[in-house]
Amino acid sequence: MAEDAVEVRRLRRVFKGRRKSPDVTALDGVDLVIPAGEVHGLLGPNGAGKTTLCKILSTVLLPTSGHASVGGHDVVRETAAVRGIIGIVFGGERGLYTRLTARQNLEFWAAMYGLRGRTLRQRVDAMLGQIGLTERADDRVEGFSRGMKQRLHLARGLIGDPQVVLLDEPTTGMDPVAAREFRTLVGELRDDGRTVLLTTHDMAEAEAVCDRVTLIDNGRLLATERPAALSSWISTYSRVDARDVPAERVPQLIGELRDIPGVTAVRAIQPSGIRVETDAVDAAPQVIRHLLDSGINSVATSTPDLEEVYLHIIGERGLRVSR
Amino acid sequence: MPDLLRPVRVLRYSAGNAWADMWVIFSPLTWILGWVSRVLVQVVFFALIGLLLDSDDAVRYLFVGNAVMITAMEATMSVTTTTWERRQGTMPLLVAAPTRLWPVFVGRSVQWLPTGVITASVALFALGPAFGIEWTPAQAVVVLACLAVVAVATYCFALVLSAIVLTAMDLHNVISNVAQAITMLIAGVMVPVSFWPGWVEAIAQALPLTHGLAAIRAVTDARAVGPVAGEVAAGLVLTVGVGALWLLAAAVLLEYLAAAGRRTGSIEFAE
Repeated sequence: MAEDAVEVRRLRRVFKGRRKSPDVTALDGVDLVIPAGEVHGLLGPNGAGKTTLCKILSTVLLPTSGHASVGGHDVVRETAAVRGIIGIVFGGERGLYTRLTARQNLEFWAAMYGLRGRTLRQRVDAMLGQIGLTERADDRVEGFSRGMKQRLHLARGLIGDPQVVLLDEPTTGMDPVAAREFRTLVGELRDDGRTVLLTTHDMAEAEAVCDRVTLIDNGRLLATERPAALSSWISTYSRVDARDVPAERVPQLIGELRDIPGVTAVRAIQPSGIRVETDAVDAAPQVIRHLLDSGINSVATSTPDLEEVYLHIIGERGLRVSR
Repeated sequence: MPDLLRPVRVLRYSAGNAWADMWVIFSPLTWILGWVSRVLVQVVFFALIGLLLDSDDAVRYLFVGNAVMITAMEATMSVTTTTWERRQGTMPLLVAAPTRLWPVFVGRSVQWLPTGVITASVALFALGPAFGIEWTPAQAVVVLACLAVVAVATYCFALVLSAIVLTAMDLHNVISNVAQAITMLIAGVMVPVSFWPGWVEAIAQALPLTHGLAAIRAVTDARAVGPVAGEVAAGLVLTVGVGALWLLAAAVLLEYLAAAGRRTGSIEFAE
């Protein structure tokens, strides 16, 4: 395979708005490179563009502009070559033939990926063994638990022996035990030398399995870093909102709050409120304590969105974007 | 070297879904009591119109036409069962696989082929004598073969409708029922094709049932198969030819719709 398993340059995807609705830019000039053999996470909230990127890389969706290649093959001009080397796994209940057995499901997809005869049967048996479903191979999928279905999804995605595996929120709806087991399987993909792109909105999941993680929000890549670094960034920043603050006390409180170590910004918000942004782990509790001691009881905390975290980071450290 | 048999293997494995769906739709008891009895009553109903017309020929004409129509009707039911593929959420996975879509959909609803042939056969051979139609063994064999050809060719026609329905899922019943109604009207089931204006006759020629039913009528109306072999063969050749064209159209349409879906973004991972 090419040195870089996935290469994306200035990728854009715009969805035409229906009737009078405006167009939606799902991806806005994305640059991303994933070396062969890496488990790469794509972390972002719902609607960030993660699935859109997966769909383009898997040839299910055409980009509006820009370039994307998988294994050195352009996803638009060399579609057949790309389809021969990728496997897709997405979370949820859909995508399996529930009235068929696990074995029948895999046999169908093995045929779709060009396997036949003894090779097909051996591969199906091997995959069933790898995901721990050999004993349930001839049971109908409709009777499987969510975790078993997800493991079967993974087997289906690997049946063609892909070099690049796209996992689109694969642990959606799974209980913690099943999700942990699934992550173990993902680790085995790395051991097999496969390249994995894992999309998730769960930082803990990204941290558990990924070599590097890219933050994405509103169709733009914000930063790419080791999971531990991103995790510390996201957990560091927080926001405290105080409501129903008497107008005459706002200026004084703002001044007092700014003196608390770890507070990066304080401003008045409408109506009758104050917003405090912090970049130290123990700053938010101190802010809350001060507000309560001041008689302000309507207090709420939240985590800034990824772009706000990124802006904090850029302002402080001038880090490179994406790769 | 291209793997020319891959579509056949995919079709075979896709047919596994058809077999599984079959036993969701029917049990042997419900098939006999719920479906076969219903369509037999339908055939008898229309055949009895001939009695109101006081015409034995009309009774035979309506009986044969409506019995064979069952085969076409069941083949058209694949329009609805094809939508199950999209509801399973497999479309993006199928599009992203290195095999064309059309063998998947060709195999997806084949359960309607044998059921259609069996149901029509029950009508023709079990009820036929009651309507003055006796079959020699040779005639019966030829009629069975004709029914099989009608089933396959009409299925190919239904595949085109199925491809259209994949883009308008809520219309699957409408499209299926309208197709059945038009077929029943103009393909020679209720009245001869020549009854209609020229432009309607031309449309009827595009329906596989028109030619397959003509072949079966040729067998039914003759005392032996030999004298009408040419007429039967011509009808079957036309049925196969028209069916092949519909199959080609379905394959092209399915691939076109997949390409269109890639452009518009209508193929959802989580649909």
